[in-house]
Amino acid sequence: MLTVAPHLRTRRPSPTTVEYTVSTYPQPTLPLRLLLGLTILLRVTIGLSVLLLLYSKFLLSAYSTPLVSYSARPPIKSSAFIWYLAYNVTTSRLGTLFTYLATLTTPIILLPTSATILYLLSLRLHTTESLLVLRGLGIQTSSSSDTFLSGSTTRFIPTEKIQDILVNEAFRGFEVRYYLVVVVEGEESVVVVFPRLLPRRQIVETVWRGVRGCLFEPDEKDGLRG
Amino acid sequence: MPYNIAMVSDYFFPQPGGVESHIYQLSTKLIDRGHKVIIITHAYDGRTGVRYLTNGLKVYHVPFLVIYRASTFPTVFSFFPIFRNIVIREQIEIVHGHASLSSLCHEAILHARTMGLRTVFTDHSLFGFADAASILTNKLLKFTLSDVDHVICVSHTCKENTVLRASLDPLMVSVIPNAVVAENFRPRSHPSYPPSEFGDQMVPVQQHLGPHDTITIVVVSRLFYNKGTDLLVAAIPRILASHPHVRFIIAGSGPKAIDLEQMLERNVLQDRVEMLGPVRHEEVREVMVRGHIYLHPSLTEAFGTVIVEAASCGLYVVCTQVGGIPEVLPSHMTVFAKPEEDDLVAATGKAIAALRSNKVRTENFHDQVKKMYSWTDVAERTERVYDGISGVLSEADFYGYDAADAASWSATRGRAGVQSFALIDRLKRYYGCGIWAGKLFCLCVIIDYLIFMFLEFWAPRDEIDIARNWPKKSRVENSRRDHRTFKR
Repeated sequence: MLTVAPHLRTRRPSPTTVEYTVSTYPQPTLPLRLLLGLTILLRVTIGLSVLLLLYSKFLLSAYSTPLVSYSARPPIKSSAFIWYLAYNVTTSRLGTLFTYLATLTTPIILLPTSATILYLLSLRLHTTESLLVLRGLGIQTSSSSDTFLSGSTTRFIPTEKIQDILVNEAFRGFEVRYYLVVVVEGEESVVVVFPRLLPRRQIVETVWRGVRGCLFEPDEKDGLRG
Repeated sequence: MPYNIAMVSDYFFPQPGGVESHIYQLSTKLIDRGHKVIIITHAYDGRTGVRYLTNGLKVYHVPFLVIYRASTFPTVFSFFPIFRNIVIREQIEIVHGHASLSSLCHEAILHARTMGLRTVFTDHSLFGFADAASILTNKLLKFTLSDVDHVICVSHTCKENTVLRASLDPLMVSVIPNAVVAENFRPRSHPSYPPSEFGDQMVPVQQHLGPHDTITIVVVSRLFYNKGTDLLVAAIPRILASHPHVRFIIAGSGPKAIDLEQMLERNVLQDRVEMLGPVRHEEVREVMVRGHIYLHPSLTEAFGTVIVEAASCGLYVVCTQVGGIPEVLPSHMTVFAKPEEDDLVAATGKAIAALRSNKVRTENFHDQVKKMYSWTDVAERTERVYDGISGVLSEADFYGYDAADAASWSATRGRAGVQSFALIDRLKRYYGCGIWAGKLFCLCVIIDYLIFMFLEFWAPRDEIDIARNWPKKSRVENSRRDHRTFKR
């Protein structure tokens, strides 16, 4: 519901530049935005509760120093404010509940599960991969990362390094897939465009035609100059 | 009516061999006739993935099968997901398996029937019935051939053998011989191909052999027991003793090469027998045209393409009368011998005498062979089999008129002359394979069907991209016409 099959979006800011984006992100409608906002809220809530549980467990252990209560609220921009906040949360009713929960679990179970949950929460919902073509300069592939913690990986290949761009077929798991590759001069392996999504043939062919048309100067006899 | 055909076999290039070139030649000619052909084989060293050969022949070298070459049974089903994917993306209608020792081919036929495709099997070899390995192979063959639409054998002997081994209805077995590319096997004096545009057919000159001219006998064969190398070892000294002006050229390698060399040393025949060692297939012609007689001492042979190649090179053929060999060449090109030493020596003597008296017109052999054996003809006949199994030809046309009446209606064939895909009908066919084997085979078929159902759910058809076909050129005859106008 929140993701769709990989689909292509094309942006042409200028006649010599084109960007192909393949993404699993659906059309942004209002309900969808609300829903996505809700999932973010949910992630933050679950994440904070896991952290609180871990903190409660830490407080129960022998390594912690007991928190001191503050008589007055320290200024917000000081480190004391964090301790003040932590004290207030752990002594609240929610805090006591989490402390109770923390007494029930052992660290052997708690630590791996919370690590897994935190990792799952940091995963991106959508995958977006793009190919930017600049005539005379080269192409740039970019691919969004798995988690929110790291940014997208990009790679720029200058035109003079590009030997060819082609569509190929290969075995992948139990199927044969079409994929777009860039053959780079002086490199053993080819660069696969859209490596994570591996969109279907229709998209791959459209992008391939587009790139070939945009990257290389059109021949004089093609009559594009008029 | 063009079909989409998948040829499946474990054996394909880069590995050299008869089955491999058969598949390649047949596929090329079928493509020429407007069909779409792909080849599915397993990965070879440095050759994995999807490749194209000349003419747009697409080859799938399936990678993960390499592990399992040694053991076949536990992975009866592992090939299914990828096979299904290939079949769907290439829109295959007919699956054509080759070679009875190729487990890939057997699996493909089983899966293809489960998917509701027409299947054809080509058998290239003869097998015994006695030893343990043969019994096992025969059982496996019976399993796959219980539910195949049609079987093609390379000779009538091979047909008889296959029908007995797999308990088939002889009506569903056709004989389509191998062929040779005659252009690659022309005699030394023959003009090269393509023939010159002047249209002059150079009449081959008869070569006269005097009583003291040297006659060269050529042997091209892998030196194995079943190729009759022992017979050769025994016969060569006797032939050379009784015919002073005779030389031997032996090409090929194998475990029996050492026996041959020992024989040469014992009889001091090194100057009269030339051992060339292994030669590549494209070099065979160069070896053959050096001789006058081709000696083929094989003990078992389903077809014997090499004797056709020899005759095409204009050699008089001396061969043992075993397997499918007697069907291959007309009697004026061959001298037959029983597969024993005395008779082979006598037959070779007869052949030498016939050549010395210039009674044999070997210079005509090439054109005769060219008319008899061509891959285009093989492709045409194979196409007729495809027509028959897909119901384009009526039952009476395909199986013969006597097969069409109700009395000879056989359980192996459905009413329309094509086998029914219904699971219960398929199970009936498998159940008859044996007391235990029948039940085991049924179990396999049911599991295969369940896997198929699961795959339909797990990897739906509409999520598989349909592959683009190789662009076909319409036949261009402009170049030739242009040439003619230019001359004028």
